[in-house]
Amino acid sequence: MCVGLSARVVSVKGGSAVIDATGARRTVSAELLDDLEPGDYVMVHAGIAIAKITDSSENESNQIMEQLDEKSTGNN
Amino acid sequence: MKSPREIIESYSGRPLRIMEVCGTHTHEIFRCGIRKILPPQIELISGPGCPVCVTPPGYIDSAIELALEHKALICTFGDLIRVPGSRMSLAGARSQGAAVKAVYTPLDAVEIAKENPDKEVVFLAVGFETTVPSACLAVKHAESEGIKNFSLLTSNKTMPDAYRALGNCADAFLYPGHVHTIIGSSICLELLKGGISGVVAGFQADELLTALAVIAHHADNSSEAFFENCYKRIARDEGNPAAMRLINEVMTSCDAEWRGLGVIPGSGLKLNATYAAFDARLKFNVPECSGTPHAGCRCGEILKGLLKPEDCPLFGKVCTPVNPVGACMVSHEGSCSAYYQYGR
Repeated sequence: MCVGLSARVVSVKGGSAVIDATGARRTVSAELLDDLEPGDYVMVHAGIAIAKITDSSENESNQIMEQLDEKSTGNN
Repeated sequence: MKSPREIIESYSGRPLRIMEVCGTHTHEIFRCGIRKILPPQIELISGPGCPVCVTPPGYIDSAIELALEHKALICTFGDLIRVPGSRMSLAGARSQGAAVKAVYTPLDAVEIAKENPDKEVVFLAVGFETTVPSACLAVKHAESEGIKNFSLLTSNKTMPDAYRALGNCADAFLYPGHVHTIIGSSICLELLKGGISGVVAGFQADELLTALAVIAHHADNSSEAFFENCYKRIARDEGNPAAMRLINEVMTSCDAEWRGLGVIPGSGLKLNATYAAFDARLKFNVPECSGTPHAGCRCGEILKGLLKPEDCPLFGKVCTPVNPVGACMVSHEGSCSAYYQYGR
């Protein structure tokens, strides 16, 4: 039950959104997110979109590692 | 610049016990082989973050009572069906004629209630803050559509008080990213003031490696407590305010029994007075049951990180994924299941 699903928003209508997760489509609730638009990526849990995904994991990890490196350099 | 893997592998600081609060973290860490690159000073311990695993046997007994005695159609997340109650599981009840249906979302249970107006449909609302909004939305949908034959049997739990209760069990928490997608980071900052360290982590291999590297980096450079959100692309510091408003509108806090941890005051959620008509316990007059787990089962100590699954005398012998005795083996997200599948 706890496994989230990241998916691309295909369409939004009322409080619902059609999402595409690597080819599989499903209608989910979009009531907890504002301003959802087709093309956005969302995290879905138990049939509800709970967050917009704003970056790739690769970019986020790189940024965090760069910050760690800066802190290390600053400490030396 | 060092890679996360290099930071982890070269860690030579003080011994570190890191608690994977979330069962999905436990599974992904095993599945991705991350345990194999850890130096001996870093120990990963599994925590109580699998909602199926911490659901007490008495809750299953109540669900079975609703199914067999009140003839309710039980809708549930699939992983709850084989969890042992005191006498049997929901799968066992199904073999005795109980109507038990696995659904993907509680919103599907509302649709089933709509299609079956002659049946009482009860959704088994377990789970942490990540899944609570879906149960709340289901109640709101049922109310707005005038569906009277739908209710929740709640055993929802919230993580902050569990963190406080477990604070001394580990040197750092790997906070579950999807819980904090809903509740935000403020609780982590509060715990930080009390000397409890942790990092909010995602669930992919690169996210887990990054989170572990951040913990190792902090532990290597300072003895002070630390906190970092390594999952900001999804778990914003403010969480999901709409989801929190919904939870606060529909639910109220209550004491909750956690399998293995006992009762943690204020760590549960139940429907508030406004939505009491959707509370299955009130609707069918089903009192809270205090069920009893299998005498030899060590799930309790495993959920607190005090024992490893292989320390349990039942693990891999009497208790297997095919014939689970304890909840940690039943749930795919349970630590015993993960150790059985990957760790032996």
